[in-house]
Amino acid sequence: MDQQFEASKIGMWLFLVTEVLLFGGLFVGYGIMHAKHPDAFIAAHTHLDWRLGALNTLVLLVSSFTMVMGVWAAQTSQKGKLIGYLSTTFVLAGVFMVVKYFEYSHKFHEGLLPGKFYAHQGDTVEGQFMFFSFYFMMTGLHGIHVLLGMVAIAWLIYRAQKGHFSSQYYGPVDMVGLYWHLVDLIWIYLFPLMYLLS
Amino acid sequence: MEHTHDHHITGPKTYALVLAGLLVLTIITVWVAQFDFGAMNTVVALLVASFKGALVALFFMHLRHDKFNAVIFIGGLFFLGVFLIFSLFDISTRTTVLPSSLKEPVRAFPGAPLGKPVQPSTGMPKGQAPTSPE
Repeated sequence: MDQQFEASKIGMWLFLVTEVLLFGGLFVGYGIMHAKHPDAFIAAHTHLDWRLGALNTLVLLVSSFTMVMGVWAAQTSQKGKLIGYLSTTFVLAGVFMVVKYFEYSHKFHEGLLPGKFYAHQGDTVEGQFMFFSFYFMMTGLHGIHVLLGMVAIAWLIYRAQKGHFSSQYYGPVDMVGLYWHLVDLIWIYLFPLMYLLS
Repeated sequence: MEHTHDHHITGPKTYALVLAGLLVLTIITVWVAQFDFGAMNTVVALLVASFKGALVALFFMHLRHDKFNAVIFIGGLFFLGVFLIFSLFDISTRTTVLPSSLKEPVRAFPGAPLGKPVQPSTGMPKGQAPTSPE
């Protein structure tokens, strides 16, 4: 069992590295375009509400905490606490997506869309569509990861209710936990890069 | 490869302290964004983010007690760093990002699918030409 646990953990970390490189490509693209068109990026980012970004940062950080508390509850065989922490994490992920929904619908309404779909009126700085191409690609891909994380956490809650996890066997809780922290980690970088340019 | 066989279990107290640290660093993230460090703005923002990331990786992801997987993860970050730094070196030492076969920026792509030429967005309201191409 111990060897299986260690092996699956290495596999999980290798997967997380591929995730880092997947987002990394987008971050490098963002860095290049930001370096080439700083004025367009700074003008475009003012369309984002940093308070909503900060709220979502808080929500994700707390959800990372409740997730790791869930891992702790599984490690100490506390079924009730495990289900409680996993459910809290699930709800916080839902809150994140609701905030994201309001942000996205506001941008759709204003025509702040990527690439050739950009239709915002009254711009004084040219080329702001570039920022929104990166904004939607990066936060969109991140949002898909949050949704997949919610599916994985729901699966954990189902299995926890059946009493599958204990101090002897908690691998899946640990793996989903690692994934969830990576999603949090990516948002930690997205927040200042998207919302707080100056 | 060295593995301790009993898994380290970190307690709720440590996790709560780490969360408190992360929340304080979030306030710092927002706070430093108000100052203008010139070209260092992004660097400062990434530095604060990296402190937060280190807390998450070391404590929440247990890399503190997981040296082998820490090497895997840092290896991935290293290659991301190589990718980023070399790309930025390339971009910052070029006078133009155009391929050598092109003399000026492409304003339309005639070879687009279904024979529909694609006009790259100028970022200006529809029907208005860009004011001055660079």
